[in-house]
Amino acid sequence: MSQLDILLLILRVAFAAFVPLCFIAVCVWMERRGAGFIQDRSGPNRANIFGFRAGGLVQNLADAIKLITKEDVIPGHIKQKFYFVLAPVIVFTIALISFAAVPFADALIINGKQYLMQGIPTDLGILWFLALAGFGVYGIILAGWSSHNKYGVLGGLRAAAQVISYEIPMGLAIVSALIVYGTVNLTEIAQFQGQLLFGFIPMWGVILQPIGAIIFIIAAFAETNRTPFDLAEGESELVAGFHVEYSSMKFGMFFMGEYVAMFTSSALIVTLYFGGFQIPWFSTETLVNFARPISVLLMVLMPAFAKLFTFWISKNNKSQYERVDDPRVREANVYIKGIWGLVAALEIVLFIYLITVSGGVADRILVTILQIITFLVKTTLMCFVYVWVRWTLPRFRYDQLQKLGWQTLLPLSLLNIFVTSAIVVALG
Amino acid sequence: MSGKIRIMERKGKDLYERLYLIEVFKGMVVTLGHFITNLLDNSKLLVRHYPEVKPEIPVRWRGRHRLTVHEDGTMKCVACFMCQTNCPAKCIMIEAGERIDGRTEKMPVKFNIDLLECIYCGYCVEACPMEAIRMDTGIFSVTGSEREPFVIGLEELLATKGAFTEEEYKKGGA
Repeated sequence: MSQLDILLLILRVAFAAFVPLCFIAVCVWMERRGAGFIQDRSGPNRANIFGFRAGGLVQNLADAIKLITKEDVIPGHIKQKFYFVLAPVIVFTIALISFAAVPFADALIINGKQYLMQGIPTDLGILWFLALAGFGVYGIILAGWSSHNKYGVLGGLRAAAQVISYEIPMGLAIVSALIVYGTVNLTEIAQFQGQLLFGFIPMWGVILQPIGAIIFIIAAFAETNRTPFDLAEGESELVAGFHVEYSSMKFGMFFMGEYVAMFTSSALIVTLYFGGFQIPWFSTETLVNFARPISVLLMVLMPAFAKLFTFWISKNNKSQYERVDDPRVREANVYIKGIWGLVAALEIVLFIYLITVSGGVADRILVTILQIITFLVKTTLMCFVYVWVRWTLPRFRYDQLQKLGWQTLLPLSLLNIFVTSAIVVALG
Repeated sequence: MSGKIRIMERKGKDLYERLYLIEVFKGMVVTLGHFITNLLDNSKLLVRHYPEVKPEIPVRWRGRHRLTVHEDGTMKCVACFMCQTNCPAKCIMIEAGERIDGRTEKMPVKFNIDLLECIYCGYCVEACPMEAIRMDTGIFSVTGSEREPFVIGLEELLATKGAFTEEEYKKGGA
């Protein structure tokens, strides 16, 4: 192993480990502020450090400090303390490592050697996810059972039944997607989606497999225990469901696990059906070949976006009532300066890139960075869909949930497989 | 008991609604509309920025109690125990004593209201023959970190001023 190998290994593992963790904060923030905006209220926006509220992101820090310093109670009636502690660990770790097989950029070719941009550079791809996704629910069942609490057990049972019902349509939706892509390797699947259909439509999974995409997204919602399928923690009938006996950071682990699972399944939905890291109409090779014009284009576009963004900040980051020397305006001015500083720094970096190292390896690294950004933007948007659905739809009743799973999604996904295979065979 | 029976039409049985996805998308468009409007301009949020912007309290609203005084500064209360007798929460504790300012025979030497017991029903105000106790202070937020300060005494009750003029109070209250 050369030094480059080791460096890339560390970088990729660090990305796969820390990005989901960072996205917990982003998702929680998006959930709470998004819920606020959807319901015409403002959401948490007061917590600050020296007056800097970062749009409410600081609230996460306050919540984390609260959860960490709270008393960690293990109720006296719990016999199986080991499993009780193990349960949140399972939920969190499984969610975190199932992201490892998702590619966040196209394979990076340096000196003729190919580096898969995944946490674990494996060909298992979707099988890795399928193997682990079902395992995450063991944590929930274990939590419900070891809580020795009727609500906990009910929540765990519901989660188990739900995962059994929705794993099947999910698997079948993946089968029909695999018929189209012809591979289980997620990097190859994403590369496949870089092609163009009829020469002008990006060949995304959602266009080739619309029904499969819908089934997969619904099943992924059920798999992550998110509304409208969050019966396992239905607070109206089960108090808090499987995590009713958990407090402090053990509850925090469930909470974080939920958001990591949400991020992972968003990343997977994006990879399977929304082109993964592909920028629409710009395949990796096109990007590499036109790296110079694209970086010039970036240098033009960045200030324009920064202008819009700073305009939005100065419009919205101010007090809505009379206030002497409004601190929020001062705060906004600091943000605006920071954004322009960042833009200037990036412009300088791109300029140096253009006049010195462009062509060769630097182009490929630039393209990789662009693809990582695209992937993260797409995943964030998918996470927003999760939040959006949560604050729109009411929870399913239990029989409705099972009916939808077995009587609608299962036949539909089977039909989808037949239709897809027929078309694939017919087109040769 | 023969009421008129009305049979409600069951919704959600036709194919269009049972497809569910279309209705889901319609609902999601509504919520997205709210989200986008508020994201682009957060002055459209339907919130009161509370600690800084206080709500407007109407005259008839029952806030924390106060004891009123005559023009010459002597208290109106004659310690008749009407409010204490009438209080459903038994939060008023009066101790009567001899009057020293010469208006009548009696006046309270102790007038304690336990705000943790009080249910803010306003029966004491209605029972008072002298219009001595009123709930027109407009104080809606009664907070503290200990139990003791919640029992307010004669001095505090007399010191609290009403939030409205006599004219407004008569118009709204009577």
